[in-house]
Amino acid sequence: MNAAPTSVSEIQEAICRHAKYSLGKAWPDLSPHERFAAVALAVRDRMVDAMLATEERYRQTDPKRLHYLSIEFLIGQSLGNNLRNLGLRESCREALARLGADLGEIERSEPDAALGNGGLGRLAACFLDSLATLGMPGYGYGINYEYGLFKQEIDDGYQREKPDNWLAQSSPWEIARPDEACLVPVYGRIEHGVDRHGVYNPMWMDWKLLVGVPHDMLVPGYGGRAVHFLRLYSARSSRDFDMQIFNDGDYFKAVEQKIASENVSKVLYPSDAVIGGHELRLLQEYFLVACALRDIVRQYERNHSSFREFSAKTAIQLNDTHPALAVAELMRILVDEKELPWAEAWEITQATLAYTNHTLAPEALEKWPIPLLEYTLPRHLEVIYEINRRFLQQVNAAFPGETSRINRMSLVEESLPKQVRMVNLAIVGSHSVNGVSVIHTGLLETTLVPDFHQFWPERFNNKTNGITQRRWLLEANPALADLISSTIGDAWITDLEHLRGLERVAGDAGFQSEFHTIKRANKEKLAALLWDSSRVKADPDSLFDIQAKRIHAYKRQLLNVLHVVDEYLALVEDGKPPSAPRTYVFAGKAAPGYRRAKQIIKLIHNVARAINSDPRARDWIKVAFLADYRVSLAEAILPAADLSEQISAAGTEASGTSSMKLALNGAVTIGTLDGANVEILDQVGPENMFIFGLTADKLRAMRETESYHPRELYERDARVRRLVDAFASKRFCPDEPGLFTWASQTVLDSDDPHFHLADLPTYIEEHGKAAAAFNDRVQWTSMAIRNVARIGRFSSDRTVKDYAREIWDLKSI
Amino acid sequence: MEIPVEKTESVTIAMIPVDELDASNAGEFKRDMAPVLESDTRVVMDFSRLRFIDSSGLGAVLSCLRQLSAKGGDLKLCGMSKQVRSTFELVRMHRIFDIFPTREEAVRAFSG
Repeated sequence: MNAAPTSVSEIQEAICRHAKYSLGKAWPDLSPHERFAAVALAVRDRMVDAMLATEERYRQTDPKRLHYLSIEFLIGQSLGNNLRNLGLRESCREALARLGADLGEIERSEPDAALGNGGLGRLAACFLDSLATLGMPGYGYGINYEYGLFKQEIDDGYQREKPDNWLAQSSPWEIARPDEACLVPVYGRIEHGVDRHGVYNPMWMDWKLLVGVPHDMLVPGYGGRAVHFLRLYSARSSRDFDMQIFNDGDYFKAVEQKIASENVSKVLYPSDAVIGGHELRLLQEYFLVACALRDIVRQYERNHSSFREFSAKTAIQLNDTHPALAVAELMRILVDEKELPWAEAWEITQATLAYTNHTLAPEALEKWPIPLLEYTLPRHLEVIYEINRRFLQQVNAAFPGETSRINRMSLVEESLPKQVRMVNLAIVGSHSVNGVSVIHTGLLETTLVPDFHQFWPERFNNKTNGITQRRWLLEANPALADLISSTIGDAWITDLEHLRGLERVAGDAGFQSEFHTIKRANKEKLAALLWDSSRVKADPDSLFDIQAKRIHAYKRQLLNVLHVVDEYLALVEDGKPPSAPRTYVFAGKAAPGYRRAKQIIKLIHNVARAINSDPRARDWIKVAFLADYRVSLAEAILPAADLSEQISAAGTEASGTSSMKLALNGAVTIGTLDGANVEILDQVGPENMFIFGLTADKLRAMRETESYHPRELYERDARVRRLVDAFASKRFCPDEPGLFTWASQTVLDSDDPHFHLADLPTYIEEHGKAAAAFNDRVQWTSMAIRNVARIGRFSSDRTVKDYAREIWDLKSI
Repeated sequence: MEIPVEKTESVTIAMIPVDELDASNAGEFKRDMAPVLESDTRVVMDFSRLRFIDSSGLGAVLSCLRQLSAKGGDLKLCGMSKQVRSTFELVRMHRIFDIFPTREEAVRAFSG
């Protein structure tokens, strides 16, 4: 029996074998999901062989390993991507054809693994692809959420959330490893006493036990030479029942306790939900950290008898502060369990851990109330106090008498109740702190944590985010990928800078024609999707203007809507049609508890209904909202974009990666000088982008001097007045007057943190230029090609190599 | 539970007779250890059979140590599986017990 099929007949045989022996049915009798499972299992066999070979290869040199801790991994579908990376796609297609099945149909039936909210989780997934492709020993650690991010449905323009029980039918990709389960104590109290030698010995008593069962999802690198894994932990109760309660006759209470334990990995928290103070979320974060570190230490101890080499063999990256408890947990393991002196343990901890910051919004920074920590993790709180005591001694020595600075840098915020600042904990416990774009890192150093930057300037560095071209071009846009490969070769698949080779054909009529044909075909597909899902009839020759990302005030979907409505009013009231017919496409989820974001979704829908039903706008403007944005939907939307909306107020977006995905697929960006836009501008040039808006410095100055007065613009400019008044009127809500008054109030408020009206005039102006450029197909296509040609820097391969060289000291094996 | 007890000249060896010592049987264990702790001062507790211990089980073992210490005696532990040992380490309890790989070493330690 061949466990590693590669030929068509071998794959066909493996699929039928899994249908029969893994699923218990003959191939023709399988349901669509079972067909997907049989194919996935056949592919998994190949990956298991390659993973074992990879591990054997690594073991021979005992290389340094990276462990990437992230509360989210936004994986999406895996079948197509795995087949491409393993080079099995065509064989598998043929094998399925012989079985009377269509590979594309089977791929589409795979449920998305939506174990993330957005950029942060998708970045983690892209990094794993790059690490495996580069042959760098790097592994993901996360939580095997039973329910991923909610499914979004739209009802009369309102978002409704439905549970995403993606594991309902179990995932064929996951390999459960109950023999490697980790025990995770929580709750309890500290008993202060002394050990056999009379030395102070705090003991953690009366804890409850969770069990973390690892499930490995295999991650094949491109070419299949290295296969790694993402280790996702499911929480189980320590025993099937708490036997004491069971013995006491309270069966239901025992079952409730079991359910409570398993709740820890039940559901992914939506971002932007107010999660501070949520005990379950804190338990999730600790559960991830405890399981991961237990596993990492266990692996290390297989080959090493002391911890002297721990940091030389182990790098741990904290993806934002959610895994920041790793600082306390690693210290606890080294000091309590391994009996290392505090100073030595601290040196190892700092040398091992590194922290990536992802947000500049002070209100989004994680803090945990001390009473909650004391209740759930009493020993860790003690460790944090001791870290803080020693750290503040250092600060005090460096800045004697600077009480307010010391208060700002303390791990403990003197609020009511007191809280532990997870950013401070992550910075103090790490040897590296990085932002995710040049502008973000600068703001991190100068505005978010300037005291820390002054104290440890050498600790701060930038690692601009990236995306994997295997997923976002090769898989998402195969026609464009083929055109590129036939023109410049396929080296770009593993070295995206090779796209520069397209420069020489950017002005070539033949290449432009083929490029345009592919873009139009992608737009036709999206138009069909828009019709099927929203009954919006989009013209594939119109300018497809796309904003696809989480719905959030700072991402300024409202600014986009302002422009749409301005264009509409100019058409119907002034008789001035836009320079080019447009199809505006929005997609994104709002956090269930985030009222403003949900109001924005309703506004988009009502504006769309008004415009799409107005015969005067029929040939000019269409507005659509695609529900349930997720990785697989992104793969359908992004290749069809002409214009990419990246319009957050400068200084608010850490990086943004949809800009990179869109540019890679031949979209031209309209954007502010924010996040990665700044660096994309450096690469693609101002002649190939539409940049508008005030700079971060200018906006900060306006905020500090309270000199932003949007009402003055409103009074002065009749066009702006008409636009703002349209939201206060019942134009878009005839049956519910006043429904969108909030939008008018928001943009007229001097305290509008997102400066909508400040940037509106230049935004409208740049849109005019974009439309004019679009009308010149040769010019536009050449701009789009140059965006593709110059986006190579934004491969996650480059990002991972930067981390490997400058933070992890990780090598390709 | 019936705790098998073996006596040498000066040391009493008590075998934990279960695979799991937890909230369901920790009370019973303490009760059945009481006669041993009352009559002897030098006790070895053999963990060879034990595969799992929770905080209630650890609490029961700790209370045995305290009872013996209160009357000038001592408790030494032996035969722990890797998992049970790591549970002791997890909560720093390995620092207050003398723990030995084998029964013989634990007994010998009393005469050392």
